[in-house]
Amino acid sequence: MAFKQHSVLPGFGLSLGFTLLYLSLIVLLPLSALVVKAGHMEWSAFWHAISEPRVLASYRVTFGASLIAAVINLLFGLLLAWVLVRYSFPGKRIVDALVDLPFALPTAVAGIALATLYAPNGSVGQYLDLVGIKVAFTPLGIVFALTFITLPFVVRTVQPVLQDLEVELEEAAASLGATRWQIFLRVILPTLLPALLTGFALAFARAIGEYGSVIFIAGNMPFVSEITPLMIISKLEQYDYLGATAIALVMLVVSFAMLLVINGLQWWSAKRLGRRK
Amino acid sequence: MSIEVKNINKRFGDFVALDNINLDIQTGELLALLGPSGCGKTTLLRIVAGLETADQGSILFHGEDATDTHVRERQVGFVFQHYALFRHMTVFENVAFGLRVRPKHTRPTEAAIKQKVHALLELVQLDWLADRYPAQLSGGQRQRIALARALAVEPRVLLLDEPFGALDTQVRKELRRWLRRLHDEMHITSVFVTHDQEEALEVADRVVVMNKGRIEQTGTPEQVYDQPATPFVYQFLGDVNLFHSRVHEGWAEVGGTRFAAPEASDKAVIYVRPHEIDIQRVATDTALAGVITHVRLLGATVRLEVNVAAGDPVEVELTRERYVEGRWSVGEAVWLSPREARVYAG
Repeated sequence: MAFKQHSVLPGFGLSLGFTLLYLSLIVLLPLSALVVKAGHMEWSAFWHAISEPRVLASYRVTFGASLIAAVINLLFGLLLAWVLVRYSFPGKRIVDALVDLPFALPTAVAGIALATLYAPNGSVGQYLDLVGIKVAFTPLGIVFALTFITLPFVVRTVQPVLQDLEVELEEAAASLGATRWQIFLRVILPTLLPALLTGFALAFARAIGEYGSVIFIAGNMPFVSEITPLMIISKLEQYDYLGATAIALVMLVVSFAMLLVINGLQWWSAKRLGRRK
Repeated sequence: MSIEVKNINKRFGDFVALDNINLDIQTGELLALLGPSGCGKTTLLRIVAGLETADQGSILFHGEDATDTHVRERQVGFVFQHYALFRHMTVFENVAFGLRVRPKHTRPTEAAIKQKVHALLELVQLDWLADRYPAQLSGGQRQRIALARALAVEPRVLLLDEPFGALDTQVRKELRRWLRRLHDEMHITSVFVTHDQEEALEVADRVVVMNKGRIEQTGTPEQVYDQPATPFVYQFLGDVNLFHSRVHEGWAEVGGTRFAAPEASDKAVIYVRPHEIDIQRVATDTALAGVITHVRLLGATVRLEVNVAAGDPVEVELTRERYVEGRWSVGEAVWLSPREARVYAG
């Protein structure tokens, strides 16, 4: 089997070699150090470190809140991308630029701002408090922070695909008798699915690893609003390096498995969309 | 079903796309809208389909006003230049789409859908591709699937927007003959848009020649080719040589050959097709002197380019045999005399 491929630029061997080296240095090396470090632990100690009730509760908070935030952004990111692509209105460029702001802002700033706003005596929080909704210092606050931080992902992955979506497809569907809703469900959504999944996966992965913004708004109450990255930090502060490594390894494995599944889904749906032979 | 287009006007900003268009399309005919790009032919087709709305005027389907009917309810089949197939669906699902989106009480059963789709795929001779995705098909196959998809909803009218525009010459020729045969079997009222005069003349029952948002002429292919109503139609339907002439006592001249000029004009433009010019080596008073500058072999015909004293070079078309007999070569002095011509006031 010929492994070599023809392309415009020469040097397939060189570029593949460099890519592998680069990935190894930047991604694989630190991660394998993590695995090696965790390998120094006894199995029982490892198991104990990762299955402490407090740690288990933090998994639930982290993965649960991340999932909710990613789903929220899946829906609203699609809506935002739709509005930005399909309509023109005054200030559209400003809105478009605003979308990227969560990327640029230091996450701690975002966390402090959100905490101040939504605290029971904050400018928004005081009114929510009246109807009995508490955002700051609860898991709900974590969801808020993560939603803010991961907003750009879905918008930015869906936007270009939506831009390339031919209007003719919708016209063809309409001439065949489809209603607007049927056109959206049967024609537009399936075409956007790979991009939506990519955006969702990126947002989810980013949310799992988020630390800076969450700790300010979460309140960090054990068993309630403690996230797993915080567990790692607190272990480090107690010089329990092995314990921190063990939890980090669990996060690594779970994240990687989830990304793999989502990438698989995305690959499958992209294949159905028939990239050319 | 017959279609009436009445006083349709359409502007895009300052650009007049359609300028008071009136047109009757008869039941069961295959009509071509022919014209250069930007002449408004696609806009007209889209207005008939309901994909675009006219600023003024009305569209009547079978005598009933359909101007404000949504494309969804107009029961038109529309075929796009770039196919517009749904990429995430198989060929089968593409064709079945129009049946599946029907409201529940009119939707056929799964078995009926299956039967219908396979019948249509057989009609376009692509039944064996039912499980493929559009990306796996050639351009010609995709367009035939698009046609099957449009026919699945049993449209009252079939509208095709440059259906063969994106295909290469061979496939194009094959497909347009196939379309003609299909139309002869089904007799569904059809309108297709094209900028290719050969395509329009070969396929259509009637041709509508359009230019700059207006209809220049409507007629059978013979009528528009043999009796072009305007200089534009004459020029657009084939290659042409232009001669300018003053008019003396009702006659215009090319070289020494005289043609009757339209009355009440002192200048005339004379149009002569390249194959309507005689070429000879002997000078006469009625011939135009020139020198052959190029010889182009185009398969069965040969084009000679002849430089004449006044005006643009003249193109002369000969059959291969006459070219071989005459042994014409570059640099030779020749005399030209038009056999036929069409004279318009200039």
